[in-house]
Amino acid sequence: MALCAKKRPPAPVPPRGAAPSEPLRPRTDRQTARPSPAQTGIMTVPKEMPEKWARAGAPPSWSRKKPSWGTEEERRARANDREYNEKFQYASNCIKTSKYNILTFLPVNLFEQFQEVANTYFLFLLILQLIPQISSLSWFTTIVPLVLVLTITAVKDATDDYFRHKSDNQVNNRQSQVLINGILQQEQWMNVCVGDIIKLENNQFVAADLLLLSSSEPHGLCYIETAELDGETNMKVRQAIPVTSELGDISKLAKFDGEVICEPPNNKLDKFSGTLYWKENKFPLSNQNMLLRGCVLRNTEWCFGLVIFAGPDTKLMQNSGRTKFKRTSIDRLMNTLVLWIFGFLVCMGVILAIGNAIWEHEVGTRFQVYLPWDEAVDSAFFSGFLSFWSYIIILNTVVPISLYVSVEVIRLGHSYFINWDKKMFCMKKRTPAEARTTTLNEELGQVEYIFSDKTGTLTQNIMVFNKCSINGRSYGDVFDVLGHKAELGERPEPVDFSFNPLADKKFLFWDPTLLEAVKMGDPHTHEFFRLLSLCHTVMSEEKSEGELYYKAQSPDEGALVTAARNFGFVFRSRTPTTITVHEMGTAITYQLLAILDFNNIRKRMSVIVRNPEGKIRLYCKGADTILLDRLHHSTQELLNTTTDHLNEYAGEGLRTLVLAYKDLDEEYYEEWAGRRLQASLAQDSRDDRLASVYEEVESDMMLLGATAIEDKLQQGVPETIALLTLANIKIWVLTGDKQETAVNIGYSCKMLTDDMTEVFIVTGHTVLEVREELRKAREKMMDSSRAVGNGFTYQEKVSSSRLTSVLEAVAGEYALVINGHSLAHALEADMELEFLETACACKAVICCRVTPLQKAQVVELVKKYKKAVTLAIGDGANDVSMIKTAHIGVGISGQEGIQAVLASDYSFSQFKFLQRLLLVHGRWSYLRMCKFLCYFFYKNFAFTMVHFWFGFFCGFSAQTVYDQYFITLYNIVYTSLPVLAMGVFDQDVPEQRSMEYPKLYEPGQLNLLFNKREFFICIAQGIYTSVLMFFIPYGVFAEATRDDGTQLADYQSFAVTVATSLVIVVSVQIGLDTGYWTAINHFFIWGSLAVYFAILFAMHSNGLFDMFPNQFQFVGNAQNTLAQPTVWLTIVLTTVVCIMPVVAFRFLRLNLKPDLSDTVRYTQLVRKKQKAQHRCMRRVGRTGSRRSGYAFSHQEGFGELIMSGKNMRLSSLALSSFTTRSSSSWIESLRRKKSDSASSPSGGAEKPLKG
Amino acid sequence: MWVTCRTRMKRKSQDESRLPDNTAVKQQQLPAFRLQLSANEILSGFFATGVFCLGMGIILLLSAKSISEVEINYTEKCASCAKLREDATHFDKECNCSISFYLPQKMEGNVYLYYKLYGFYQNLYRYILSRSNIQLVGTDLKDVRNCAPFKTSENGLPIAPCGAIANSIFNDTIVLLYNFNSSTHIKVPMVSSETAWWTDKYVKFQNPTYQNLSSAFAGTAKPPNWPKPVYELDEEDPGNNGFINDDFIVWMRTAAFPTFKKLYRRLHRIGNFTEGLPAGSYSFIINYNFPVSRFQGQKAVVLSTLTWSGGSSLFLGLAYLVTGAVTLLASFSMMAIHLKLKERKTFFLQ
Repeated sequence: MALCAKKRPPAPVPPRGAAPSEPLRPRTDRQTARPSPAQTGIMTVPKEMPEKWARAGAPPSWSRKKPSWGTEEERRARANDREYNEKFQYASNCIKTSKYNILTFLPVNLFEQFQEVANTYFLFLLILQLIPQISSLSWFTTIVPLVLVLTITAVKDATDDYFRHKSDNQVNNRQSQVLINGILQQEQWMNVCVGDIIKLENNQFVAADLLLLSSSEPHGLCYIETAELDGETNMKVRQAIPVTSELGDISKLAKFDGEVICEPPNNKLDKFSGTLYWKENKFPLSNQNMLLRGCVLRNTEWCFGLVIFAGPDTKLMQNSGRTKFKRTSIDRLMNTLVLWIFGFLVCMGVILAIGNAIWEHEVGTRFQVYLPWDEAVDSAFFSGFLSFWSYIIILNTVVPISLYVSVEVIRLGHSYFINWDKKMFCMKKRTPAEARTTTLNEELGQVEYIFSDKTGTLTQNIMVFNKCSINGRSYGDVFDVLGHKAELGERPEPVDFSFNPLADKKFLFWDPTLLEAVKMGDPHTHEFFRLLSLCHTVMSEEKSEGELYYKAQSPDEGALVTAARNFGFVFRSRTPTTITVHEMGTAITYQLLAILDFNNIRKRMSVIVRNPEGKIRLYCKGADTILLDRLHHSTQELLNTTTDHLNEYAGEGLRTLVLAYKDLDEEYYEEWAGRRLQASLAQDSRDDRLASVYEEVESDMMLLGATAIEDKLQQGVPETIALLTLANIKIWVLTGDKQETAVNIGYSCKMLTDDMTEVFIVTGHTVLEVREELRKAREKMMDSSRAVGNGFTYQEKVSSSRLTSVLEAVAGEYALVINGHSLAHALEADMELEFLETACACKAVICCRVTPLQKAQVVELVKKYKKAVTLAIGDGANDVSMIKTAHIGVGISGQEGIQAVLASDYSFSQFKFLQRLLLVHGRWSYLRMCKFLCYFFYKNFAFTMVHFWFGFFCGFSAQTVYDQYFITLYNIVYTSLPVLAMGVFDQDVPEQRSMEYPKLYEPGQLNLLFNKREFFICIAQGIYTSVLMFFIPYGVFAEATRDDGTQLADYQSFAVTVATSLVIVVSVQIGLDTGYWTAINHFFIWGSLAVYFAILFAMHSNGLFDMFPNQFQFVGNAQNTLAQPTVWLTIVLTTVVCIMPVVAFRFLRLNLKPDLSDTVRYTQLVRKKQKAQHRCMRRVGRTGSRRSGYAFSHQEGFGELIMSGKNMRLSSLALSSFTTRSSSSWIESLRRKKSDSASSPSGGAEKPLKG
Repeated sequence: MWVTCRTRMKRKSQDESRLPDNTAVKQQQLPAFRLQLSANEILSGFFATGVFCLGMGIILLLSAKSISEVEINYTEKCASCAKLREDATHFDKECNCSISFYLPQKMEGNVYLYYKLYGFYQNLYRYILSRSNIQLVGTDLKDVRNCAPFKTSENGLPIAPCGAIANSIFNDTIVLLYNFNSSTHIKVPMVSSETAWWTDKYVKFQNPTYQNLSSAFAGTAKPPNWPKPVYELDEEDPGNNGFINDDFIVWMRTAAFPTFKKLYRRLHRIGNFTEGLPAGSYSFIINYNFPVSRFQGQKAVVLSTLTWSGGSSLFLGLAYLVTGAVTLLASFSMMAIHLKLKERKTFFLQ
């Protein structure tokens, strides 16, 4: 760090939120917690979103301060010319995410801490106490807790910053190869400057934003993985501009002196514009030539790049956007309550001040013989004014500073429990669950809406070739000995593919009959697999003989080609014009004549191949809806059986494809190829023309069969969803996937069932259509509720409440499926409420084809109107906006990059852990936090209000009841640990029960355990206790004497008596509140009592008095007072009177209105009953059928890439005759197609969104 | 962005360590006692508490009843003296006042003589603060830091004992006469020893170590309200003089409430009074010094006996009695409710 500071003007510190923040963050309200590098193992946290949905989170751009001179307007960087570049003072490649250094730590940290209202408030109190006329307590009663709190926070901040320093250093000290003076030298990352040329090797991270100059691959191509940047795992291609792509060796590069003039640093990941000036020529540069920091080089041996942006100027760092700070509802409530209490405090202060003024006027003036007024005081009124402040000081303990610290400590404890939970540890991926934010735990117990992503979250994004139908026969069902369909888990051994040396070991298939059919040489089966091995855009890689790797664009395709491979039709290699397939052990090379590429409208792809015999055949695979219409009429019978199979497969939630072929004769093909060439050369409407040419040839095809691919659900998804639904949590699936797929998954994970009354599907394209569809859905629901409910209740509801409640009371189960384009309309201001009401009345909501921005909008909508706690769970970069928007964001640390995890508050690797996170951890956290807060407010009111009552007996002179040491230690020693132990460890029911009875989750959603009402009950109990705490000893002491005849009612004895009974009463109360007495609780509760008496006797000992007579005035008090039977009788009476009503109240509530957790705790019988029900519920399977869901997560354009051969090594192309197609522009056309479909993440053709 | 490499490295080296420890604390499986009070426990607890409180109340009430107590308010009875004392200029004039009363029944055992003040605020914040413990333990007579507003005398000498508490000491002298018959008045023997706590007398209050007490206090001034300096409080008994004077110590232990009684003398049980105070006619001779009418207060003398729990008032006994009764009542009604509901929900509580 120091190094880069020396070399360069100070790098602009990234904006506040940019610092990857802390795992342990006790202070809630400064900044949202983001994971620390140390915790996550991540060095720099990229928090970026592609520009198109940046609006949801961070503003699209912010002006960046330039060091020394104004805003940078354009950037100039000249290659290999450090001197020239240095004069611009660009930021170096050194990043700094830490906040402090050793010198600045104390002032900066203190400054930050005193920005907290609570800390400032206590500082203000401290200052008040220093004014002698006001001071009614010693200064240390405030300063000790304040210093304690500040120290704890400072230590935590320092630790976090230490880890940031460490991670910064580690990143900055990474090695990269920099071309300096014509030689490649190892340099640390932080020493890389703008204008340097650096060399990257395969699988290396890109050190800064680079202009790609040349690479090992032909045409200056280079492949990168951008998972860290935007979460997309598929590889992307970058290409150097032709003039520089020839600069392959160091000597040429060293002479390169081009100058780049480009836009200033910004956070737009997919845009770059600049110009390269070299040899008096201008070359335009675009994003296609850029390698951004954070990407990883793949499949490219090496490449050279020119550093354009470094360090904080890189797009990655520019995107480390601020995160919205998240607070829990309890936090907000707590802040409101603290304000109320503060108001209450002022009221008490005013009452006592008025009392003081009156008293001084009536009595005090005459009492001046014995106690003249202070010099400063000249009237009763002024005395009252002073006593107001004095009482503010004394009574400030109603809002103790330890509240905030304790809350954070408890949350921290709960976060650790989540991190430590073995049951949320994924063995397969070896990832534990992680609470990345420590401040939201209790909110986990209040979730009402879950917004879930589909791919990667509910599903594993693993496609498995599950079933197929070949020539009217279905394969893939597994039958047990008796001929019944076997259940999962009762399966026999998988099919043995050992006959095939090229088989993929990981491929499993359970139906041996299919393999038998292949071995028997059934021509249909062979043709079926031949098609699968030929008709695709997969690239193969053979590292060593027989070790095949398929690089598939979509997992579906990979699954199909792998299936063919295992059944003996091994796709081995391809060139632009050939495909080599090992068919049952013999290598056959087909001539690839054309790829009729996939797109979203065609929903099919075909290849035209010439087999070694010279026959030309078209193989086609595609969606059933499309393909079945294009079959030859002779296949009608086969079509019927296949359709039956398709329905069956679809009913099981499988993704289906129909396969067909067609023989072409030579002349027809030649003629067709000519027309195709013409169409592809057409200047205007090339796509349309091509499409019609394709359409023509893909007709009258012969049906081969159908495949069914299982989109594998994550483990335990249906069970989790069922359980969460029972816990009254509504689950909405928001997916970018197609409607059919989404609905399929909805069925397979039991969100949708055939028992549902109706599933409404909203697919309208216009505002009116959408409105109409929503209206119809609502009417249907209303009708049914009218039919079911009797007229009276309905009428009553309509008259008494809004529409919403009627809808919420609908009978029957409904589900809503809404499309992205309809959602765009539904989310408009005038329709959003309508949509929300309808959606909330449904049991399940599925939004498909939604953009990341829409995901966030839906979450925002529910947050806005439902006032409910929302949780968003997802795994990909497209979920980031929704994760950030929801109250709680959960990231699945799965396959798709790390974006979602970085933006999330909690992360784990399996969707099923969500049930444990919510029902166990969340529920407990909420319960504990509520119990903690109730008790905390209670104990402080009981403690403080005694002063108020005493005020009426001491001339409102701000005399405290207790010894000042007791006041200092009460909150931080005597009563803090037992309640902390309860807040951390308490459990009402064992964890198994909260899974068995999901209804136990409801109190959290309804906010029953801590709300304003509960707060007032706590306060009332506190005040009640304080009244008894004062008046019982008062009644006793007023008249009584000690057993040796001396006075009992001296002030010090009274103080000790009240303090002792207070400590005992609150200890008994915490004992009653603690439902789960661990050894720690025992230790703390008994320990606190013991410590109280120990400190009491120590403070009242002769020894201390001898040393400090003025500080320890209570000498001898403890032993003299506590030896009196009257005192103990008073303490016992106070305890009994304070505790008995609480016990009685709880007993009666248990009897009259037991809540579920009480019942669960006390009843074995109910437990068994519900368990049985529970089991029944789980067994309910789904039968029935729907239409197939075609899904093919494919991007178009790769067919063209393959045919051009551009993505193949020259070596493999050596034999092939290079087709001289006029399309060196393939990359442009690929890009154009991509950007057409950019509005939808899955590449769908979708209208751009409004707004 | 370097996750991949790092996690990969991590995966190899820390594969095992990423698995959370299977300890009771971390898995929240600590062995614990689940606090679930059953109805039987609660109800029996309630009954027991009720019976205990009721019994305690009866015992306390009975013992409080056995105490005999005489209280005589002499604010009005010595009106002339009160009037004299209202004017501070007459401080040097003596004023005695005699109050006779008749004791119908003898007071058995130890009898204690108290003075009682009404409306005297010994618990004001600034009043309680206004003392110097350092001075009172005799280490540094000049330490008057906390003694405002009675720190130093007009000529700048530190006041000893300083402060508002000491300055306002109750300085009436009370003598009890037993009127044997109309002509014979026997002075009832009273002692002031053991009227203060041992810790007060021997730890908290110490005279400066000097051979001669008056020279020890040289260089200090007497409190403005005091007629004589602190070393002349009890010239006969050196163990009761200066700071360790019992009356002074008792006064310095400030009362918690504006109405309080402080122990003045104990009956010395000798002669006629070995059994206690016999019934008969008595009179208090009061040397009236302490002005109460200025702050509209009142003062009284109290004669009282004690029981095992001290001079307990009726309050504690009554409070116990009421608590016991209410608790028992509550337990009965709770039991009734519980039994009634138990029929309905048989599963509830077992």
